[in-house]
Amino acid sequence: MVGVKKRVVIVGGGAGGAILANRLSKDEFEVTVVDKQPYNWFWPWLLYIAFRGSRRPIKREIRSVLKPWVNFIQSGASVVNLQDRYVELENGKRLDYDYLVIATGATVDYSKVPGLEKTVELFGNYHSTEENAWKVWQTINSMKEGTLAIILAPGAYRCPPSPLEGVFLAEEFFRRRDLRDKVRIVFATFYPRPYPAEPMNELIEPLLKERGIEYITFYTLDQIDVEKRVAYSMEGEELKFDAAIVIPPHVGVSIKYVPDNILDNDGFVLADKFTNRVKGFDDAFVIGDASALPVAKTGVTAHLQAGVVARLLQGEDAKNTGRTNCPFDVGYGLGTFVISDYYNPTVKYPINKVNHLFKVAFAATYWDMILYPELWNPVFEAFFEATEPAKLRQFYR
Amino acid sequence: MSQGNKVLVDARGIACPGPITELVKAYRNAKNGDVIEVWATDAGFEPDIKAWIQRTGNQLLELRKEADKIVAVIKITAKK
Repeated sequence: MVGVKKRVVIVGGGAGGAILANRLSKDEFEVTVVDKQPYNWFWPWLLYIAFRGSRRPIKREIRSVLKPWVNFIQSGASVVNLQDRYVELENGKRLDYDYLVIATGATVDYSKVPGLEKTVELFGNYHSTEENAWKVWQTINSMKEGTLAIILAPGAYRCPPSPLEGVFLAEEFFRRRDLRDKVRIVFATFYPRPYPAEPMNELIEPLLKERGIEYITFYTLDQIDVEKRVAYSMEGEELKFDAAIVIPPHVGVSIKYVPDNILDNDGFVLADKFTNRVKGFDDAFVIGDASALPVAKTGVTAHLQAGVVARLLQGEDAKNTGRTNCPFDVGYGLGTFVISDYYNPTVKYPINKVNHLFKVAFAATYWDMILYPELWNPVFEAFFEATEPAKLRQFYR
Repeated sequence: MSQGNKVLVDARGIACPGPITELVKAYRNAKNGDVIEVWATDAGFEPDIKAWIQRTGNQLLELRKEADKIVAVIKITAKK
């Protein structure tokens, strides 16, 4: 039908939601973004607040990163009803939709690990808020000796390289302060090796050894006794520390969904890995961290999924490849990327300074690339094409 | 001793960060006596699950390769 715009409601104004909103044609769609709070956050920068004390701003108003024709409503969603096709706002108002996109991201759940809440109060973390990231910065600045434990709690978490990025940056911090011989750094993970994907681990494990960083694998964090400064694994293994920074278990944002069987046990939304359609629905999609898909929770995933959903809504044929491209800062101005897709395992992509420069440059473009996809898409497309895992694997094994 | 629960973990198609993530999520909620059955397609799963059993001290009841998946049946016995 000519002249009738399709109504798209996007719940969440983070990277995925905002990119999608800006990509949809204003002639074809009436797009409304709903978010309970006014800001779009650049979460990867929590790492640099925590370990570098960076004062670079990490948030901007969602309104300022949306095209002028996209509607923005600041409100929580009290009900998302996929059966009757509406999103109910906190004030009871209902937004009917033709297409729904869930882009609510992930949140952290301290209650899954006894003692974790107190641990975060004392030492902070770099996967939740600015305030907690600043607490990490205070923690490492006040440490002159003893053991710093960085522990990956069991469960889903944002940004696969981030636990080890924190480990490497902490090591650099203490070395630069001439405290490296007094501060012991221990990384504990539930995975079989420091970095879960074997090819990348072949680069990372030697680097940990070279820098004198200790690590414990198969360590499934069970509980923390903050007073005694001991973290226990599920088998009773004890890890003593003077300060502990824990990557907390992530869960979906709690919103009431009808039907509720679209959620997994952790509140993530079940979906098709190629189209991002919510399980059982043709007119509802979930992108980014909010999905239960077995893909990395990272901005690049949200970005690429937003592109696929935009094309599907516009009647084109499109499908996810599962591509990841996670920047991995290993300290001292060095970095790599974790690159893989559904068809190719992680590439052993070399560590160098240029890769780190890409990460820093990308951070500078973040809000610009959200607001102007028409300018930045060709740049990203060229990058993704040049770094296709199937091609890279021929060079880096 | 009470009869344990049986939990199925379908980790087929998961390569990065790996089927171990899904196993550990189920393990977190399991009690001693429970049985977890994991389905995976990632080739690295077989050595990883053997190493996981060895390190955590839980019991591997069965590890078999089927045409389209690897199946591991694990009895949880080592939780404190």
